[in-house]
Amino acid sequence: MQIADHTLTARQHLLVSLCAGLAIVPHALHVPIAISLFLIFLFVWRLTALRYPQFQPGRWLLVLTTLGGVILTFSQYHTLIGRDAGVGLLTVMMMLKILEVRRRQDLYVAVFISYFVIITHFLFDQSMVMALYLFSVMVCLTALLIEINRIKPSATTLEPFVRTGIITLQAIPIAIVLFIIFPRLSQPLWNLGIGSSGTTGLSDRMTPGQIAELIESPEVAFRVSFDTEAPAAEQRYWRGLVIWDTDGHSWFNRKDLVRERHMQLKSHGEHSYEVFLEAHQQRWLYALDIPVSSKQRFRLSQDLILQRREPVRRSLTYQVRSTTEQQNKVVMPGMLQRALELPDNVTQRQFELVEGWRTNAKSPREIIELALSHFNKQPFVYTLTPPRYLDNPIDQFLFDAQEGFCEHYATSFTQLMRIAGIPTRLVLGYQGGEYNELGDYFIIRQYDAHAWTEVWLEESGWLRVDPTAAVAPERIRFQLRNDFGREGSPAMFQLDELGLVGSSLRHFAHMLDNANIQWRRWIIGYSREHQFSLMRNFGFDSFTPLQWSLITIGLIAVPLMLVALRLVLSGRKQPLPEIIAYDRFCKKLARLGISRKTYEGPMDYAKRAIGERPDLTAPISRITALYINLRYGPNADKSQSKKLLQQVRQFRPGRQKPGT
Amino acid sequence: MTRSSLYRWFRQFRRQAKPDIYGGVTVKARSIYILPTKQGLLLAVVLLAMLVGSINYGSNLGHLATFLLGGIWITTILHTWRNLLGLRLQPQHADAVFAGESADFCLSLINPSNLDRFAITLKQKKNFGDSLDIPNNEQLPIHLPLVSKKRGLFKLPQITLHTTYPLGLFHAWTYAEIDLSCLVYPKPAERGDPPVTESYTKSSSGDRGVGSDDFVGLRTFRTGDSPKQIDWKAYARQQGLMSKQFGGDRHLEITLDWDLIPEQEPERRLSLLCRFILQQEELRHAYAMKIPGLSIASGLGSGHMQKCLSALALYGIADADR
Repeated sequence: MQIADHTLTARQHLLVSLCAGLAIVPHALHVPIAISLFLIFLFVWRLTALRYPQFQPGRWLLVLTTLGGVILTFSQYHTLIGRDAGVGLLTVMMMLKILEVRRRQDLYVAVFISYFVIITHFLFDQSMVMALYLFSVMVCLTALLIEINRIKPSATTLEPFVRTGIITLQAIPIAIVLFIIFPRLSQPLWNLGIGSSGTTGLSDRMTPGQIAELIESPEVAFRVSFDTEAPAAEQRYWRGLVIWDTDGHSWFNRKDLVRERHMQLKSHGEHSYEVFLEAHQQRWLYALDIPVSSKQRFRLSQDLILQRREPVRRSLTYQVRSTTEQQNKVVMPGMLQRALELPDNVTQRQFELVEGWRTNAKSPREIIELALSHFNKQPFVYTLTPPRYLDNPIDQFLFDAQEGFCEHYATSFTQLMRIAGIPTRLVLGYQGGEYNELGDYFIIRQYDAHAWTEVWLEESGWLRVDPTAAVAPERIRFQLRNDFGREGSPAMFQLDELGLVGSSLRHFAHMLDNANIQWRRWIIGYSREHQFSLMRNFGFDSFTPLQWSLITIGLIAVPLMLVALRLVLSGRKQPLPEIIAYDRFCKKLARLGISRKTYEGPMDYAKRAIGERPDLTAPISRITALYINLRYGPNADKSQSKKLLQQVRQFRPGRQKPGT
Repeated sequence: MTRSSLYRWFRQFRRQAKPDIYGGVTVKARSIYILPTKQGLLLAVVLLAMLVGSINYGSNLGHLATFLLGGIWITTILHTWRNLLGLRLQPQHADAVFAGESADFCLSLINPSNLDRFAITLKQKKNFGDSLDIPNNEQLPIHLPLVSKKRGLFKLPQITLHTTYPLGLFHAWTYAEIDLSCLVYPKPAERGDPPVTESYTKSSSGDRGVGSDDFVGLRTFRTGDSPKQIDWKAYARQQGLMSKQFGGDRHLEITLDWDLIPEQEPERRLSLLCRFILQQEELRHAYAMKIPGLSIASGLGSGHMQKCLSALALYGIADADR
């Protein structure tokens, strides 16, 4: 250390404790309560010790406390490695470091650990608000470093922040360049074992009543931004997974179709869009109808669902092209048989119901029509809070209560069609979505979760049939209103009947969500694929490491040079105009071979110049007198400097003495 | 090649500001050196860890935070460099000291720019001088105490102007040679009696009639002589107006003589002489000094003492080295 005084002032001690406290607060909110309490205890201890130095722990007490902290962390997580336990340990260690800060070196270590702690927050929360908070804390920490590096404390609290702000602004171009160009890996360096956190969403096993629970959640499932024109609400079916098998109660897939074959349809999709998917801990990805191509390498299962090798553990952005117009005629051996399998608990009255349709109908298509009109004409109620069907859900729903939600309609329709000999499968996903006009994208929330069916017809392939639409067409065209009536009450739909307050509130909400999606799109979702497409835009297919390094250095050097230039120029004083003018005059004389010596005052210089060029006596003495008066005169008139400049400009001595 | 010879070999390439005609130095852009401090290296390691973590968890915000701090790290180089650029060191003075004492070199630090500068430290190898913040367009005194080892002229060695502002991640420094020296007197020996023959003199040469005890003679009257001084008897004898001269308050004259000092070693002699001078000054007794090649007439007071001590300090030192 260069500054001889290694100790810190009481104010600096307090500031470093507070800044580090700010950096740790978001963690303290989600680590186990015991650790939170320990952190608070250490913090209070620190503040007390600052006020009453006799409470400052000695070396042995610190060692004991550290040991206690490690044991506590271990007891809470049963490990010390991995993301969660690692962060727990880090927070404890950081607080202990704060407790023992004495000298400047300790302060540096504390600040650097705080920097590290700040980025660990991003493993838990990547929202804009959190980022804003954490970057502010980062600025505070940096301002603290500036403050301890001066001799006298700043005059105002603002000053170190202004200086940090300047440095940070100058660093931002470098950060942006590195952010864009730094290669991203698609695989982590080593296995992280991130525990799956409980997120809401569809699961691969569906029991009627489950989706109705999802409906209560306004959480965002994903957002979609269309490059092409967006399809109408009643066409926006986001397929997530296809379910084939049932045991009469639940619906699931006995064997996964995914691994059997990968397919890539090489056809042109008329819908091109980008999906910003929230982590849902599943492998499937949501796409509109028939996905035909994607920029990313996803697998496409035989039932035309996009799949990823790894579950989606953090938010993911992907581009897809889909078609809604093409027919889906993909059928594999055994597929149709599977789509006809019935559970054991099919009742007689179900057979009778279907038998009635079969006798009246000439084609499978007509059977479907009859079934849908059955749902339409019978007093079926579409409700979010149906009674619980425990015994034989489909039978009870069809014949007894006739109150149900989309999943009830979809499952019973599937089963009835299978009885009728029409291969049918169940599809889970989302339907519709809220349009955000500010960002031109759709927000699909958990309450947009939906279930529908696909039937196999010889002439048209797999065809989407949504029995819910037969009962409650508004469900498909409008959003569900997110208030729930008493049990069994019909669901309400949100029509465009919002008042001024309501619509401006919605406008504000859309604005926030738009900022969020842009944040997600450009900051959080920035990926290897973005990088490659950016590179292609600049005409590169790939970089060698050497090229990459040179480009990076070049791109960093440019903003750095600008900063250097700015720094050098900012302190430079603009010389007085009369000095500029006089310097120019001296240069002109120097060209004649009469250059001014460093020790020469203006008067001596003029005398010497006149001695050498008597023909220039008048202008030289005039300019010199004017300059001396301006520079040293008791009441120099500053407006005269213009006159001086003018005279210097007009001073054009010839190279040769006249007459020689 | 040993380490020190390697160091010397490197040293020839070292950029160093030579004093200008005013004896001072202005820090030029190309004479500033800059390297990370321990803290700067530590942060680099932390940043690396942050980067590895961000890559591993695929956290784009982690990348962004790491790169922002990295950007700050790099930008700080420029700020630290800028903090020194254009500063001027101007020699002021350095008061004479005795060998072994700390010589206080006073310089003035001038900030001729419109930017405030912070935590500028003056140092010479491991010796630290003042650290100070200097606002724009100001001039502040800055001190560098250095322990003087031997008598003579202590030229201010090559010094370093140094800063780690703003974040302490880098230290920038520049080597400056300032034209300033400090006179170092010999280190005074332990107390002792000067080996001189004491003698009372009445000669008016040693004592130009300033006393009042002893009559030493007559001289012609000069305007301004007191009437009490006039020798009226002589006037009565028609000898003209004469003034009586008194003088020679019992006067002990000491000559501090190089040759009388029993020790042979010259430095030892000098340091004994130095001590005697101090003692005489303490006693308020006049003294003369005689060293080879120079003899200083008897006298007393700080001017006299400085003259004698300087003569001792520079004894045997060629003019070229002064």
